[in-house]
Amino acid sequence: MCRFQLARTQNKTHIPRAVPADLTAELKSALAKRIMVLDGAMGTTIRGYELTEADARGDRFKDNHEDLLNNGDILSISRPDVIADIHRRFYEAGSDICETNTFSGTVLAQSEFFVEDPRKSGGIKSPEFFQKEVVENQFLQDLVWELNVESVKLAKQEAAKVAEATGRQRYVAGAIGPLTVSLTNVVDPNDTAFRPVTFDQVKDTYAHQIEALLSADCDILMVETIFDSLNAKAALVAIKENGTKAPVIISAAVGRGGETMISAQKVEALWQTFAHVDPLAIGLNCSLGPDLMKPFLEDLSKVATTHVSCYPNAGLPNPLAPTGFDLEPQHMNEYTQEFADAGLLNLAGGCCGNTPEHVAAIAQAVEGKAPRVVPALEI
Amino acid sequence: MPTIPRLLRLSGTEVYNHTPDKNFLMIGERTNVAGSPRFRKLIQQDKLEEALEVARQQVENGANVIDICFDDGLIDGTAMMARFLDLIQAEPDIQAVPIMVDSSKWEIIEEGLKHLQGKGIVNSISLKEGEDAFRKNASHIMNYGAAVVVMAFDEQGQAATYDDKCRICKRAYDILVDEVGFPPQDIIFDPNILTVATGIEEHNNYALDFINATRWIKENLPYAKVSGGVSNISFSFRGNNAVREAMHSAFLYHATKAGMDMGIVNAGMLEVYDEIPKNLLTAVEDVLLNKDDGATERLLDLAEEFKGKGSKKIEEDLSWREDSVEKRLEYALLKGLDKFIEQDTEEALAKYKKPLSVIEGPLMDGMGIVGDLFGAGKMFLPQVVKSARVMKKSVAWLEPLMEVEREERILKLAAELQAADSELSDSDARIAAEKENSNGKVIMATVKGDVHDIGKNIVGVVLTCNGFDVVDMGVMVPCEKILEAVEEHNADVIGLSGLITPSLDEMITVAKQAEKRGFGKKSIPILIGGATTSAAHTAIKIAEYYSGPLVHVLDASRSVPVTTSLLSDENRDAFIAENEAKHEKHRKTFAGGSKKETISLEKARANKVQIDWEQYTPPVPEFTGTRIIKNQSLRELANYIDWTPFFHTWELRGVWNAETETLKTRNEEGAKVAKELYLEAKALLERIITEKKFIANGIYGFFPAQADGDDIILPEHNVTFHTLRQQQLKGTGKPNFALSDYVAPAGPDYLGGFVVGIHGADEWAEELRAVHNVDEAIMVQAIADRLAEAFAELLHHRARISWGIERPGQFTKTELIHEKYQGIRPAPGYPSQPDHTEKPALFSLLNAEKEIEVELTESCAMHPGSAVCGLYFSHPESHYFMIDSLQKDQVEDYAQRKGQTLDEAERWLGPWLGY
Repeated sequence: MCRFQLARTQNKTHIPRAVPADLTAELKSALAKRIMVLDGAMGTTIRGYELTEADARGDRFKDNHEDLLNNGDILSISRPDVIADIHRRFYEAGSDICETNTFSGTVLAQSEFFVEDPRKSGGIKSPEFFQKEVVENQFLQDLVWELNVESVKLAKQEAAKVAEATGRQRYVAGAIGPLTVSLTNVVDPNDTAFRPVTFDQVKDTYAHQIEALLSADCDILMVETIFDSLNAKAALVAIKENGTKAPVIISAAVGRGGETMISAQKVEALWQTFAHVDPLAIGLNCSLGPDLMKPFLEDLSKVATTHVSCYPNAGLPNPLAPTGFDLEPQHMNEYTQEFADAGLLNLAGGCCGNTPEHVAAIAQAVEGKAPRVVPALEI
Repeated sequence: MPTIPRLLRLSGTEVYNHTPDKNFLMIGERTNVAGSPRFRKLIQQDKLEEALEVARQQVENGANVIDICFDDGLIDGTAMMARFLDLIQAEPDIQAVPIMVDSSKWEIIEEGLKHLQGKGIVNSISLKEGEDAFRKNASHIMNYGAAVVVMAFDEQGQAATYDDKCRICKRAYDILVDEVGFPPQDIIFDPNILTVATGIEEHNNYALDFINATRWIKENLPYAKVSGGVSNISFSFRGNNAVREAMHSAFLYHATKAGMDMGIVNAGMLEVYDEIPKNLLTAVEDVLLNKDDGATERLLDLAEEFKGKGSKKIEEDLSWREDSVEKRLEYALLKGLDKFIEQDTEEALAKYKKPLSVIEGPLMDGMGIVGDLFGAGKMFLPQVVKSARVMKKSVAWLEPLMEVEREERILKLAAELQAADSELSDSDARIAAEKENSNGKVIMATVKGDVHDIGKNIVGVVLTCNGFDVVDMGVMVPCEKILEAVEEHNADVIGLSGLITPSLDEMITVAKQAEKRGFGKKSIPILIGGATTSAAHTAIKIAEYYSGPLVHVLDASRSVPVTTSLLSDENRDAFIAENEAKHEKHRKTFAGGSKKETISLEKARANKVQIDWEQYTPPVPEFTGTRIIKNQSLRELANYIDWTPFFHTWELRGVWNAETETLKTRNEEGAKVAKELYLEAKALLERIITEKKFIANGIYGFFPAQADGDDIILPEHNVTFHTLRQQQLKGTGKPNFALSDYVAPAGPDYLGGFVVGIHGADEWAEELRAVHNVDEAIMVQAIADRLAEAFAELLHHRARISWGIERPGQFTKTELIHEKYQGIRPAPGYPSQPDHTEKPALFSLLNAEKEIEVELTESCAMHPGSAVCGLYFSHPESHYFMIDSLQKDQVEDYAQRKGQTLDEAERWLGPWLGY
């Protein structure tokens, strides 16, 4: 497989942002004083707006051959009003940091909605397929760039408004989510070494997203919902190679045994894998509710020489509940208090099933609570 | 502020922390083509499965890190590094440990880093090509996150002397730490172990130079580690393993004392230091520590004596091979070990005779355990995939035999078809027969709107491994496409997957459309899976739209037993019935569940049953205290049997008419089967009675009682029974019931209690199962259950007569079964009082454990299994009702009354909580 370089989108000239050199210091100083609040679930909250396929497509994508309603990221273009409103609601609920609507903002993830699955015509997903149809797809590159830039703008605009109204600084974290392809998972039982994509393809698509996010001046980079540590490693190598000084938050999704859902890495092993990045925070999110997540958060809290973040699901999936998850705001409030009292938290929020009401309850829970003391590495 | 020690910390899927108590980090080196001719050969011949075994063995033998090296002219090192590390990702045992990517070529190292999910070690970089390349490579490694081995090598060459070793290591350390920012604890120096006893005088001090350099590095370069390739030291004694082993061991002994942290050592080439023969040890140490000029000569002389000795072998732990063939298959599946699978499969075939019995027996049992462990979070996807591969190997071995059987079946079927239809040509008959006989074909798709398919892919892999023909349609597949594919491929099973919440609705759409196309009538099963799906949702929201089997599959490992059952002629009906029963349960729970409007405990109590106790005189029983019935006549009990539930055990729905001895059901075939079953049961019952196979013991009694709020107290016995009150919002005139409402608050009133048990059934059933007579075992236990219920009915009958609320002979048998009488006998754990923890009070009140040997387990289950207990209420208005939707106010109150914590109460009442 030859190396390739994703063509940067040339027509969007951008002046490298003047990152306040002290943003990391500013955040660290805030984190030394209090537990900062993250946001809740974009997907769950979007569902509250009862959007239709037509909303998702808008005029621009009305002829797209695949449905787009579940492509949450596209709403940053087709329904920016909704995304902005959601950011506003989270900031108003007390979020210090909101994530951009870019969970699937890579050409690899977006390809699922715009490129026909080769399996439908008897083919397979392979590095050759991704190279030809996805990585070198100019339409996708431009779209993904735009998605990321527009998403950052929406979040920044709401952050600024709420910051001004409340007198408290708000931050925007560029969400860098997992992919629908894995670098560790076996897909062909007859060739367990076969992977549908290469590390370089994954790294370069993440690099493209990261560059787009930074070009629109997002404050923090957040590699999150890590199912597969090797995929995440590709994203973090891309961040390192970019040379950005933006603070980084790393967050993994672990299952009931405390391993990353796909690559089966334990949390302490995960911390060791990423300690060299010197992230602003490392934490856990998604896949479990707070109760099941707690033991693994404790494991992480013991070893991580940086801040610990935690944004669990609102319990386990419950298709019969209105949010699709078990726990209500008051429950999240109770768990968050319990975690804070146990000295486990530096940043707290919610993942799937957490609405702005949940986040308000979480914000209330950490109000006035002492943050976890970050252990130092022996000098 | 707490501090965390600055240790070398590495990871695979697990961690390795080089804490001070670990005096030596073992690096497995048999996966290095430069050091292991066997491994090199396996790689060159592309025997990668065996090569993986080499890696696994090292982990099993205790290697903390495994060194992987493909530096060989005949191997494409970059490609093989990528491929081998990807293969390791499918091996949970191996990928648990950190990996050392070993190459002298930078491109191979970089490729290796792209295939390591954890933090490994790069072996190695050096100053050989100057500072720029060194800095560049080191910062690349830092981007990926790995520790690094630095060879004591510079532009001038390899450091051999103590001074050169220290100088080069210091220079490298300063560049790494001060300029590149490399964490010092992640730097591992290899100051070159060079061969001694070569006969060349300059070489005599090599061991000592290494040992002293090690000490200097550890003292002067904070946190840095020292490693080395130990076998170099003894190259001059190739062919004499006894001496080499002694040299390795003695060298390590002295080097680790100086601070050496790790080394590349073949554990099979290492003598235990204390077991080195005294004279050999002295000679070896004299050489290593360069005692005098004659040391080499002395060792050479002595070496002759030891030639041909030594070389202990590290054995694999094969104790599991001593177990039964079923256990061995289970072990192989759990561990993903395929080394003996064919041999074991052959043995299992000899025992089980038919290939299918092997698959559906021990192999499926093993996969069932894998599934359970996976569900419990004790096994992980890569392991399950491994298990599935072992399964596949076993099935593959059986396949030719099944093929022969299949061919026989097809020929027979074709002949039958032709006999039935003489017009049928040979080829048409064969096509029809083949179709009848086809392996299962599964259409799988992630539904429209959803792009997640990793889980579905795993299901696909697992099913394929198990011989199903899987057509994977990918993600975002529109409903019509799925259904068209089902028709086109003539599929046997449809698998729908989805991860996000909206997919749930899409699954309903697919179920509806599938029904429209008649798939439901054809009974084509639909499997539902994916993270947001649940058994409850499937039962409540999807099942109603589809008349065929619709099954929620919890995870990939479950997909095999489910699909196999659905496609098996023998198990299909039972499986579907069981699945339907589960759905029914979910629907009931849901219907009785959260949707109801509830009221506070206070309001519910205000709406209790209104009984004018002033105008009512409770009946007085003819005795108080207990009566014991031992060896109750089984023949008398037989008259009290209600057979209807007996048929439910066998999935025969309907109502049994005792007079006509028929099962009233719309299903004529079912009625016929029921009749046959009844005759069988009667015959067995007759045998039980005449041969006294069971012993029926019972105890019952009456006690003065009065209601106290929602409790019933027995003042003379210092016992309190606690009851629960309905909290649903009721219509006018409908009270919120609690059992305590039926006992007079001020007394004098009475409460009865009973326990009955059938002894002997469990043991007999166990014996029958031991000889694989599973059917009869079930029959025995089903009859015992009926007898226990009959005994409860008989005792209740007597109790009512004793209580004066019924005359003997007042009701016919059928009327009794239909509970026409006055009074109830609710049992703890059943709808009117779902709390099992009310049993202990009853048991101790009656002294049932001692008197009739019916015992309560920790979880308040009764032993023997065929037993019934309960309370007696005499009030004419008393009847059974259902408790659910309990609110927190009541549970708190209830827990307090019972002296339980809220947690405990909530745990026992879980399914009935409405909050």
